[in-house]
Amino acid sequence: MLSRTLRAATARPFLVRGNASLSSAPPAAGTPAPPPPPASTTTTATTTTTATPPSAKAAKAPEEGDKAEGGRRKRKVWTPRKRPAISALAPREWNRPLAPGVVPAYDYALKYIQRDAAAVAAEAAELEKRVEEKEGEYQVLLKEGGEGVKEGLEKVDAELEGMREKLHVLRVQAEVNLPEVRWKVKNALAERGREAHRHLLEHRWRKDGDLDLLMERIYQMKVVPDLLPVLKPTVDLRVAVPATTPDQFRALAAQGRAGANVLTVEPGVFLDPKNTLSPPMLYADAFHADTRLYTLLMVDPDVPDPERAGYKTYLHWMCPNVELSAARAGRLTGLNGHTAYVPPHPQRGTPYHRYTVLLLPQPPVRGERYSRNLEARAVREGGVSSRRLDIPVVGEGERAGFDVRKFVEEWGLGVEGGAHMFREVWGAATSKVYEEVLKQPEPVFGRPRKEDRYADIRGRKKYVL
Amino acid sequence: MSFLRPASSSSKAAFRNTTAIRHYAGKPDTSLGDPKRENLRRALYPSNIRNRPTPVGTWRPDVARALQRAIPSVQAHETIERAWLLHKRHVRKQREAELSRKFEKMREAMDELYKLDSQLYLQANRADDPRAKSAQEMEMAKKLKVSEVRTMDARIPGLFPRELKVPTDTPSRTGWNYDYKPFQRPL
Repeated sequence: MLSRTLRAATARPFLVRGNASLSSAPPAAGTPAPPPPPASTTTTATTTTTATPPSAKAAKAPEEGDKAEGGRRKRKVWTPRKRPAISALAPREWNRPLAPGVVPAYDYALKYIQRDAAAVAAEAAELEKRVEEKEGEYQVLLKEGGEGVKEGLEKVDAELEGMREKLHVLRVQAEVNLPEVRWKVKNALAERGREAHRHLLEHRWRKDGDLDLLMERIYQMKVVPDLLPVLKPTVDLRVAVPATTPDQFRALAAQGRAGANVLTVEPGVFLDPKNTLSPPMLYADAFHADTRLYTLLMVDPDVPDPERAGYKTYLHWMCPNVELSAARAGRLTGLNGHTAYVPPHPQRGTPYHRYTVLLLPQPPVRGERYSRNLEARAVREGGVSSRRLDIPVVGEGERAGFDVRKFVEEWGLGVEGGAHMFREVWGAATSKVYEEVLKQPEPVFGRPRKEDRYADIRGRKKYVL
Repeated sequence: MSFLRPASSSSKAAFRNTTAIRHYAGKPDTSLGDPKRENLRRALYPSNIRNRPTPVGTWRPDVARALQRAIPSVQAHETIERAWLLHKRHVRKQREAELSRKFEKMREAMDELYKLDSQLYLQANRADDPRAKSAQEMEMAKKLKVSEVRTMDARIPGLFPRELKVPTDTPSRTGWNYDYKPFQRPL
């Protein structure tokens, strides 16, 4: 009984300390903050890391103690687990999750990983020196110019590409196994300048379900064959809109964000036209170190075309030459300078409209494809590694019937970049859009009238005796 | 002696629960007759109730608890896992590198031999028939019984020996064979 009450008394606090330092000021360089003391088996559950989602391991141990308290079964009300407030604005230092000697396998594993990381880092540094020398050679050859030099230049360029690819792999491998690095990336303390951190962020986006969900929705809603033949996203594009309906506020509260009024849009969900009266907030995370230019497009492929008894595409928003890079991750601004944003206006009587946001990459400044050489040289010299496109502003009359495939082919935009998609159905706000923004009478669609085949014989006598 | 039922039971009979089992609506007994249908149903619609380990061992319900007792930190577990996989990777890469180095040397040697002497090259390249009997073996076979000749044929030269056994937890039922004589096939 005593052990049970003790366990209840030392039950996990709502915010678990895990292994982060408690103070925000980082300790002196040579003295890492001490790890939590070696705990007994009852309280070892508290030393799990803060960043992992509630796993069966961490959550099971204290629950047993809570439930059986006093013989009464407390009905557990699920509250979303609150993440500790660690971020770039409130940084913490990484500590070992277990003190030395608690689990010898962990101590040895840590030493092994650190030794391997040091060896790979040394190899990477050596290769980097060779890459620098080779790059110097390349620059010299470039300055010479002339016909005979061209072949030699291509050969050196190809060698450099191979070396840089290997250097990238070494740089990632040097840090990717270190628990400190992995913890930092997991706790929003990733340094986007470091290749290993960028690699882990991209890996998380690709493998932990976000990209899968996006592609599932894109294929299910047939965005891919309808708008473009292929889409292979390389940029994590997220869309957020202000919440307006009671359901949306309820969903936010269920997520644990009761006071918030910004809704992150899951790809494929239904939004209310009121949500998109103002341009949605776009957050793009690119994983390349150099600055590249992308073209933003927002299209609706489901605008009815009664003349052709089909549907046509309407261009809601366009902005070419949007700069993206790993360092510049976050909210995109200044997007309304080209083809102004027209809010989505799904017409009454039509089935749901799919509103697709695309961030397509513009062709590279030199060559046909982006390469590591281009990336490295752009980073070193500064400037942008994409060609700046002078796309003319699309007039109001040309928005309807916009051909995305033709546009992409004409300007040489790639199949990569970012994509997102949501759906909408007529709402009261649509009338508002027609009245104030489009300044047109609002159309109402429906099925065409059925021809009455019996209009002639109706009323006439059928049987003659 | 009264064979009357006690009063309590008769009163119970009056208040017996009468929610009957509808036998006409029950599931048919699938243990009799052809199990094909039942097997098909089980294959197409597997149960998703997590009350026992998966058949091939991809999920076991007791592992999480045991792991939590052994290594109370998820991060520590992942670190140990990564270190182990890293070690295995190093060993694997080393083995593969050594093997490919040997293969390359062999390839170079054969190329040289081809340039030097084509006859020797052909002989070096010839594949041995593992079932062929050499002259020495033919001599031996004349003296052996038919069953022993068959035993000799079954032992392919260069293959692992028949005596190589996986160690078991318990000894065999027939016990230890003290009269065993090893059979050698001449190379």
